[in-house]
Amino acid sequence: MRLELRAVRHVYARGTPFEVEALRGVSLSVETGEVLAIVGGTGSGKSTLAQHMNQLLVPTGGEVLIDGVDARSLEKSELRRRVGLVFQFPESALFAPTVEEDVAFAPRQLGLGEEEVQERVRESLVALGAAGLAARSPFALSGGEKRRVAIAGVLAMNPEVLILDEPTAGLDPATREDLLALILGLRGAGISVVLVSHDLDEVAEVADRVCVLHDGRVRAIGSLADVFYRDPSQAPTTVRVASLLKESKPEIGAPVRFAETLEALKALPGV
Amino acid sequence: MENPGEGTRTGGSLAVSCERVSFSYPGSERPALSEVSLGLRRGEYVGVVGPNGGGKSTLVRLLNGLLRPDSGRVRVSGRDPATEPFEVRKHLGVLFQNPENGLVAPFVEDDVAFGLENLGVPRQEMQSKVARAIQTVGLEGYERREPHTLSGGEKQRVALAGLLAVEPEILVLDEPTSMLDAAGRREVLEHLQALRTEKTILHVTHHLGEVAGADRILVLNGGELVVDETPGRLFSEADVLRENRLVLPIVPKLALELGLRPAKLRTPEELAAAILERTESETRTV
Repeated sequence: MRLELRAVRHVYARGTPFEVEALRGVSLSVETGEVLAIVGGTGSGKSTLAQHMNQLLVPTGGEVLIDGVDARSLEKSELRRRVGLVFQFPESALFAPTVEEDVAFAPRQLGLGEEEVQERVRESLVALGAAGLAARSPFALSGGEKRRVAIAGVLAMNPEVLILDEPTAGLDPATREDLLALILGLRGAGISVVLVSHDLDEVAEVADRVCVLHDGRVRAIGSLADVFYRDPSQAPTTVRVASLLKESKPEIGAPVRFAETLEALKALPGV
Repeated sequence: MENPGEGTRTGGSLAVSCERVSFSYPGSERPALSEVSLGLRRGEYVGVVGPNGGGKSTLVRLLNGLLRPDSGRVRVSGRDPATEPFEVRKHLGVLFQNPENGLVAPFVEDDVAFGLENLGVPRQEMQSKVARAIQTVGLEGYERREPHTLSGGEKQRVALAGLLAVEPEILVLDEPTSMLDAAGRREVLEHLQALRTEKTILHVTHHLGEVAGADRILVLNGGELVVDETPGRLFSEADVLRENRLVLPIVPKLALELGLRPAKLRTPEELAAAILERTESETRTV
């Protein structure tokens, strides 16, 4: 599925003294099967943008297109099945007595047969490496496990696009690495992923393209190398290291991922 | 490891000591801490890392008297936190993870004064101590700001100022940056660095990079103290890192893979310089 935003504006609390323009004309697209990262500082509009992608927020101006069709003309339930949104700290919404039932809740609302529901629960738990947790209480899990179960609940809707808002926030570094590997697995399964993050090092490892938001506007969008090498002061650690060496060692190229960067550094004479 | 109990018995040089300390939470089958012995010398900066459930937070709670050990002995400046928690808290201040939970007063300066008020410090003395603490964390001009209008990093600095106002000689930092973004994290860490010379610091964190400059790093895993080493040695031991689910930050990780000294190189600039130096010495020998 192709998801496109055209000149989307969003004003909170319009007509009150608290009026804030959170998005000031954002245009971008999410292509089929890619991981698009949305980065930017606190207050840049990242979460507001994410919530427009499944019409949880309706734009004040501009439009959201799903395969070329205005999202407003689609059934909301249909849209939210196709575009799954995982909020920040989604584990706070876990509620059922077992993991299995929690993950089954959303697909059951789709009116699927019980067999199909169980099949989807199993598949999504497997995709998130959480199959062994099915019978456990979600409340007795660790932070990283809860996070994975919450994502599995959205995945069980079989979305074509999965939007993850700061999925690794508050996780310890090892659990975070596990979750990033799972995101790559989802992409491998053909699901488009929108990764909202303030951590450029994690973006460097999993994203295909990146969109930099600043003050409600798109400051840059494109391949990781194009965007990050244009402004290495706002770039992942790997890019900062490589760009410091670039002047005297231009042969280093424009590596972004850790493995790429290590290879480029090892190829330098004497290293 | 040297005998950690020695100093306290003579009232000597150890600021904090634990001797074979064990603790289990009620209803839990596995001890949260099991026979942990450690000592902090005055003026030391010691990092504590390890996976979730490893025992880090339990250790912090035993040190400030929120928990009482099942067995073993804890001493903070020669006192037992389980029996004299209020006395101990004058000597040992804890900065907790989430600054939102700790800020209580309408204005920054009231918040910083809160701990002193509880100790019944006279007003004039309190004012000068509050002013000094606010200055130390670089928040002059923020006295009459409302805490809820501040950024995460600023809130955590307010909480730190509240601790410093009480003038404890020991600071325990329990994941003080985990709720902050990169800028807030840098901000808080810089102010902590500046305190190094005057305080004994125990810094609990998930981020190995934050304690790269510590004198020692302790690793707690499964309730046991499994590593007590300098950052330089720990960063070079890939197996130990993996076993304890510790992840090196990108710069030391690249350094390690390139055979450079990972704990000495903390910034992209330092790593790039070390790489250049190598390529240049290569050119000379060729």
